Amino acid sequence: MTDNLPTETTPEALPAPPLPRTRMQPAIQLLTSAAIIIGGTLLFTTLVLLASGTAPLEAYRLILSGAFRNPRTIADLIMLTAPLLLCSAGLTLTFSAGLYNLGIEGQIVIGAVLAMVPLRLLPDLPPPVLWLLALSAGASGGMLWALLVGVLRLYTNVSEIFVGLGLNFIAIGITLYLVFGPWKRPGVASMSGTEPLPEALWLPTLEGSRLVPLAPIIALVGISVVWFALTRTHWGLELRATGLNLAAAERLGVPAHARLVQSLAGCGALAGLAGALQILAVYRALIPNISSGIGFLALLVVLLVRFNPVWVGPVAILFASFSIGSIQLPLQLGIDSSIAGVLQGTLVLFALIAQGVQERRR
Amino acid sequence: MQPTMFLRAQLIIVLLMLGSILLSACGGSAPTPTEAPAPTEASAATETPAADPSNEPFVFGMVLVGPINDGGWSQAHYEGALYAEERLPGSKFIYIDKVNPADKPNVQVVQVVDELVAQGAKLIITNSDDFKDGTREAAKAHPDVIFIHASGDDVLTGLAPANLGNVMGKMEYGKMIAGCAAALTTKSGRISYLGPLINDETRRLVNSAFLGARHCWTELRGNDPADLSFEVTWIGFWFNIPGVTLDPTQVANDFINSGTDVIISGIDTTEALIEANKATQAGTPVFALPYDFEGACAQAEAVCLGVPYFHWGPAYLQILTAAKQGTWEPAWQWLDPDWTDINNKDTSAIGFIKGAGLSDEASAQLDEFIAGLADGSISLFTGPLKFQDGTVFLAEGEVATDEQIWYMPQLLEGITGRSQ
Amino acid sequence: MDVQIRNLTKTFGSLRANDAISLSFAAGNIHGILGENGAGKSTLMKLLAGFLQRDSGEVLLDGQPARLHTPAAALAAGVGMVHQDPMDIPAFSALENFFCASPRRALPSLAVARQRLIQLNQQLGFTVAPDQPLARLTVGQRQQLEIMRLLACGVKVLILDEPTTGITAAQKTALFAALRRLTAQGETVLFVSHKLDEVAELCQTVSILRNGRVVGPQLAMPQPQAELIKLMFGQEGAPAPPRPTTAPPTPASATPVWQLNQITVREGALTVSNLTLSLPRGCVVGLCGLDGSGQQVLLRLLAGRLRPERGQLLLHGVDVTRAPYRAFRAAGIEYLPADRMHDGVIGALTLTEHLLLTRKPHGLIINRADACTQAETAIAAYNIKATPDTPLASLSGGNQQRAMLALLSAECTGLLFDQPTRGLDVVSARAIWQRLLHRRTEGTAIVFASADFDELLDYSDLLLVFFGGQVSHLLPCATMTATRLAELIGGVGFAEVAARDG
Repeated sequence: MTDNLPTETTPEALPAPPLPRTRMQPAIQLLTSAAIIIGGTLLFTTLVLLASGTAPLEAYRLILSGAFRNPRTIADLIMLTAPLLLCSAGLTLTFSAGLYNLGIEGQIVIGAVLAMVPLRLLPDLPPPVLWLLALSAGASGGMLWALLVGVLRLYTNVSEIFVGLGLNFIAIGITLYLVFGPWKRPGVASMSGTEPLPEALWLPTLEGSRLVPLAPIIALVGISVVWFALTRTHWGLELRATGLNLAAAERLGVPAHARLVQSLAGCGALAGLAGALQILAVYRALIPNISSGIGFLALLVVLLVRFNPVWVGPVAILFASFSIGSIQLPLQLGIDSSIAGVLQGTLVLFALIAQGVQERRR
Repeated sequence: MQPTMFLRAQLIIVLLMLGSILLSACGGSAPTPTEAPAPTEASAATETPAADPSNEPFVFGMVLVGPINDGGWSQAHYEGALYAEERLPGSKFIYIDKVNPADKPNVQVVQVVDELVAQGAKLIITNSDDFKDGTREAAKAHPDVIFIHASGDDVLTGLAPANLGNVMGKMEYGKMIAGCAAALTTKSGRISYLGPLINDETRRLVNSAFLGARHCWTELRGNDPADLSFEVTWIGFWFNIPGVTLDPTQVANDFINSGTDVIISGIDTTEALIEANKATQAGTPVFALPYDFEGACAQAEAVCLGVPYFHWGPAYLQILTAAKQGTWEPAWQWLDPDWTDINNKDTSAIGFIKGAGLSDEASAQLDEFIAGLADGSISLFTGPLKFQDGTVFLAEGEVATDEQIWYMPQLLEGITGRSQ
Repeated sequence: MDVQIRNLTKTFGSLRANDAISLSFAAGNIHGILGENGAGKSTLMKLLAGFLQRDSGEVLLDGQPARLHTPAAALAAGVGMVHQDPMDIPAFSALENFFCASPRRALPSLAVARQRLIQLNQQLGFTVAPDQPLARLTVGQRQQLEIMRLLACGVKVLILDEPTTGITAAQKTALFAALRRLTAQGETVLFVSHKLDEVAELCQTVSILRNGRVVGPQLAMPQPQAELIKLMFGQEGAPAPPRPTTAPPTPASATPVWQLNQITVREGALTVSNLTLSLPRGCVVGLCGLDGSGQQVLLRLLAGRLRPERGQLLLHGVDVTRAPYRAFRAAGIEYLPADRMHDGVIGALTLTEHLLLTRKPHGLIINRADACTQAETAIAAYNIKATPDTPLASLSGGNQQRAMLALLSAECTGLLFDQPTRGLDVVSARAIWQRLLHRRTEGTAIVFASADFDELLDYSDLLLVFFGGQVSHLLPCATMTATRLAELIGGVGFAEVAARDG
């Protein structure tokens, strides 16, 4: 709708005029968005809290501060943030490519399952070698599972959402089969998972803490690589172009379908790595719910930051802190800890609403 | 158009996720019409941190796998803890319930225990078989806190550190009585057992129910043991998880359709009773025996033959008293019922309450059976007994030890259903 | 119905698309609204028809203030709009579309609707069969259907936005006759166009918009064309009529860019069969025919976006019958689609980023500074009104089109262009063609499809006429006239020029 004056002007008419946008507008837009997101979220969750007969202020205080009370909870926070960050990094790739990788849960699960394989088959190797093997097996497992999504999407033209959700079920089925079948504890199959790994195979923790330093390091490397790839490489630009407009990207010579599959593979590898960390650093066994919904939580993180890799880190920490902090709720207020999930979901909901409002105004 | 579509799809996804969270939050907190979950009194503890050591209450905590009002396993533990708190002066009870991967993903037993310890808990009870590894890990992390893992066997296996004990009631007696009540009632001779997942404990309980049923079928009713069909179907977990376990409602109906007229439930929830009631109202009389909680018959009195249940209160009171006095020693406690009155709240670890569906005649015969168990004249884990695969479990006249009963490797010969 | 617009303002961000517009349109007349691309015509019409909400100002219908906040409200108030691209439901039949969304009082039942549709067809000289699935109707017929639907809904003010784009000459004649008949019955017709001759032929008054404002008074037609052009384009004066010198094509002895041997190609229901052609370097080939007669199929075939079912396709003498799209790109073939934002460019990305996407990357990591310099060069060379960091979506159509041209690689040997100047004003269009002809003198073969006779006749060296999937042989443009072309497109005498099979 911009104006289009006659253009047979002389080159002196250049340089091109600046965009006719005033400085104030982005600031106002940001403020309205923030007001909608924070106001809407607080209003909604406060209503939910009031409906359950809880003092909202106390609940918010516990959720926000619960994760930062002492070194232990901070360690728990970091150990939850690490896989969350890896999955968010992965989803940043697929969202940038315009894909809804709802299959990420299954990719975590298969990563975890494959990470168990070297640990069970070759327990006598030196632990560092085993860890390396387990982590690579996890990453390749997740990648394979994601590639399956990519292949089905490309060759059968079924939406990656449905393929992904279907594969999630299969992945969980495989886990249950292993936990209750071939990998069950001697004599007793249990919902609590396989026999715990021998302590020698646990990734080393800080003295007297549950914090495995390697986990946040891997996660930070993961998100940094994704940030770099998306913002600084030709590959990343082509990926974003594919996500924004596949037909046009293809016309401009971008190997768009290859980029789709590659983004899935990258996401799967990161999710598989997260799964391997769940095995090596968190649960130390394969449990039926090994992914613990981290993939879906990561989906919310990435939706909230609009696939911007820079903001994934802080928001992942925030969401993880809600989850950790909310353990205080049943203990101190006698209310259900799932209010943290409500808070996380509502934040994203209002972020999308705010975005919709901005788009309507344009 | 494209970005708007993208946005719309995202909105739908988030709404779906939020909806399911809200549903689980609301649905999970009130599954049965009991009173609203009582807020714990723990908040006071944070506000007065160690004011005066002499007045400091003896805080004990509990980690529950299910909600405190589940009408089953977790509620029985919760009420046991309240019972002990009431009777032990200066004690104070705090808890966290619904510690399971579905309700609290990303929360591990160890973390929950840390919270309870931070609130001042000196003794912590964990109530699920699934907490075995977590309880052990937590016990190692907090050597100055006493841990009681209900239903566990770490003391027996030698894996337990010095501050970890186990406690369990001898539910096999409750199940024998349940099996007997079933055998006294069945007309078709077909009894079915709605099993949870397969492990030592559940095999033990199925075998007990089977032995009780066979005894009463042959000794009290004078029938041929070959005419008794005893079938078990395992759903895969303690309660229904859609998509993961078999649907207990469906399984119960399959039982009924194949001619079963008594269902013994081994799971935490009451689908068997409810389906039996539906079938009875539709003209096919079917009875059921629920499990775990003394009030379970209430959902369908007329078809309920009775319920075997736990009384955790006396055991907890005894353990807490010892712990408070500093005389607690780690032990693997497997507690007998009080045979003088198995339904005595203050003395018996397990009990059996008869249901309205039990006929007077059967009721009298059941009393006879219980009396036999009490005076030792009926000892069902006595040879000759064989396993499903034909190997000998107990030779002629051999009586099983506690450990043989605890670690039950297979179902017994005569039961239809999987051992593994 | 009289329409009075008072101080109507609509802004998009900081752009004032309509700036305090005041106009009045008397009932029973056809009113032309003229303006170059981006002047604000479409915005004004969408405000009237409820597709956009005004920021300030008011609209009076027969003197009464009207609420036009949604299309349904506008329809109820008696204002209806026929869009440039028909907005209808393709899965429905003509009758179902006609019936759909009409008030119950107007068409209480499907039987009444059928009667009314047949009646309106007769009355207006239209040719829409009620039971035809919409997919089988031409663009012109869908437009006719939409007009009849709006009339059945009780519309008293009929807005037509560029209605003659994409319809046949016969349909245009029928449309104009129908519009005259409607005004005779008291309807008010607002006719939006940038085609001066059509406005001159049809309208009683003309209003001119420029930069979102009304320029000059409402003029009664006829007016001298030069005067209108001056008003439309500002005081710099009207553009001189275009007529580039056409250099003769390079000798036929050189290897042609494309060679088609007995090609049969199918897309959807349309099949072009047994096509044998040879398209030389340095030559502009215009593809003409009714919309959807096979021009796009040929363009996509030549671009490597569509594989032939049979036959052989040579590119620079190399067999590429089964080659993938990227082989075509590697050989210097570029395809510029008609719908820029759909599959032409990526709206959210900037010119710099587009250059990064299209130029061969050196290494893994982006050299943004270098790309930015390239973008600045392209902006200067192609006279694009943008900065290197402006998302292409916020450029006007002409600037987007020039940006697409700027993205073409220097080694481009064959250029396929679908509707190069559709929706552009005369000046923008000429600038585009200046670039294209420059390419041609450098030896690039240019194949383009257009619905505009002037464009076809002015710029082509050779013409290919399409008629229902049949293709003529290459016709030299120099000997072609507009009348002859119109006949051929309509199938009159097509057999004489049709390429002989085998």
